[in-house]
Amino acid sequence: MLQQLTNLSDKDLISRARKLKDQEAEGVLLERYSHLMVAVCLPFLNTAPGKGSDEVFPVLLQRLSNSLKTQTIHRVNEWIHYNVKAIQDKSDRNLPFFSTTESREIQQVEARIEKAAMNQKEQQQLIAQMNVVISQLPAEEKLFLTKFYLEQQPLTQLAESKKYSIDKTRQILKNAKQHMASILMKQSYEQ
Amino acid sequence: MSSNLENNDKILKIFSTVRCMNRDQLPRYLDGRLTDLEKHLLEQHLVDCDLCFDALQTLSQAKYREQYQPLSVSISQYIRKSIARVSTTQKVERYQRLEQKKESFLIYFWVVAAVALGAGGVYLIQHQNKLQASNPPQPIAAVEKTDKEMEPIPTRQSQPVVASHTETAAAPAPVADTLQRRPAPAAVKVVPAVQKDTVKATVTPKPAPPKDSAKKTPPAEQKEEKSTLQPAKETPAPVPDKVEKKETPPPPKKEKEKDDDNDKKTSDVQPSGTDEFLYKAAMVYHQQGDLNEAISRYKHLTDSKSKYGELSRYQLAVCYRSKGQTGKARRMFKEVVRMNGPMKEKAQSALDSL
Repeated sequence: MLQQLTNLSDKDLISRARKLKDQEAEGVLLERYSHLMVAVCLPFLNTAPGKGSDEVFPVLLQRLSNSLKTQTIHRVNEWIHYNVKAIQDKSDRNLPFFSTTESREIQQVEARIEKAAMNQKEQQQLIAQMNVVISQLPAEEKLFLTKFYLEQQPLTQLAESKKYSIDKTRQILKNAKQHMASILMKQSYEQ
Repeated sequence: MSSNLENNDKILKIFSTVRCMNRDQLPRYLDGRLTDLEKHLLEQHLVDCDLCFDALQTLSQAKYREQYQPLSVSISQYIRKSIARVSTTQKVERYQRLEQKKESFLIYFWVVAAVALGAGGVYLIQHQNKLQASNPPQPIAAVEKTDKEMEPIPTRQSQPVVASHTETAAAPAPVADTLQRRPAPAAVKVVPAVQKDTVKATVTPKPAPPKDSAKKTPPAEQKEEKSTLQPAKETPAPVPDKVEKKETPPPPKKEKEKDDDNDKKTSDVQPSGTDEFLYKAAMVYHQQGDLNEAISRYKHLTDSKSKYGELSRYQLAVCYRSKGQTGKARRMFKEVVRMNGPMKEKAQSALDSL
């Protein structure tokens, strides 16, 4: 049963956990991201006084389990990251998770591209539209996008070429992608 | 041109979805043990995913890297244990649900079976009742048949009497033979008793007078008896003919009398049906030799104003004569003569012979 569940996508596991109250599916989903949770929580475990892993992780898992049953989750990684940060920062503990509008726009564009993969004509239209959008972006963002996605340069190499940190390079790419998604969604709403 | 096409395809990868790093990829990325393609895919994902990027940033520090491996193993074990507990409880719950379903199914099955058996039993009982309701007519029919078989018995019993009488009178013998033959079909056919009576009444008057004649009259008087028998033979059918004949050739009666007769006919239309039936029934008893019963039946008809009143008086006189009550017989014959009806002549001749 566990092996069958591990082959399911995050979306399927969430729906099983919610509709069928399948706690096995819930466990498989949390285990899938458990190593990332541990890695993200390590600085907190080392810095916070009197907080051991035996105390933090059960609380985190229980919080995620409760949240899974009540909240709308589009991206599991964002949801887990939000809850880990919420545990580390006590002020945000009781605020529920909502994905940002930027994140939702990116998700909508991703879904549109997946849908266009089956239709050649629509795909060509989308490529032309994206080329137009890239040309409208700022020069740095346009350069980073072309270097990273079209020329497939590694993140470290790209950062070194501009003498930026990896975090800054990633942030520039993320912003460029966000700008593209918002422009594409605006165009689609205008149509 | 080809590079443009490739670039066109690659531009779609800006928004391609890539999963988070798994338990294996994370240390391999840190160690630089990934292929260029795999590394680039993960970096595409890192642009969007804060969780993976933070994890990588943390694990890039050596002190956290040492803690990471045992903690990640322990947390996965913790989750699996909780899943196992849950899964066992879920299995137990599923098993209990299945058992409950089986039990409920068995209960439903037995309830349905009991209802079906009950319904079947009721149906069978109703069916049997219907059969019993439909069968009784058969025994009744059988009883009727036996009754009808019994009915002829008196005739058979009377037949020897008739036969004993016919030893003296030769003429009635064939009539007795016909009577002997008759009961068999009568026993088979399911015919109303009245019809039977009528049949007997129409055909069998012959033997009755011979009885009377056999008892009282000597063989020399057989001619007269024959003459007396004739009305008895033909009374049911021929007598009305005679009445009609007498009506058509008007005897010494006046036209008023004719009118009265017509009125009587019209008025006697209704009673004549019952009178005829009573008369024929009495004739049957007379024929069977049950003179007392025949006399009582004829007496009922003496008050009748129809032709059957005269005929019954005549037959009553015959019965009295055959019983040896000559006084009563004479009185009756005289009454018939006094009535001045179609039987007047025969009554007069019988009166003379007494």
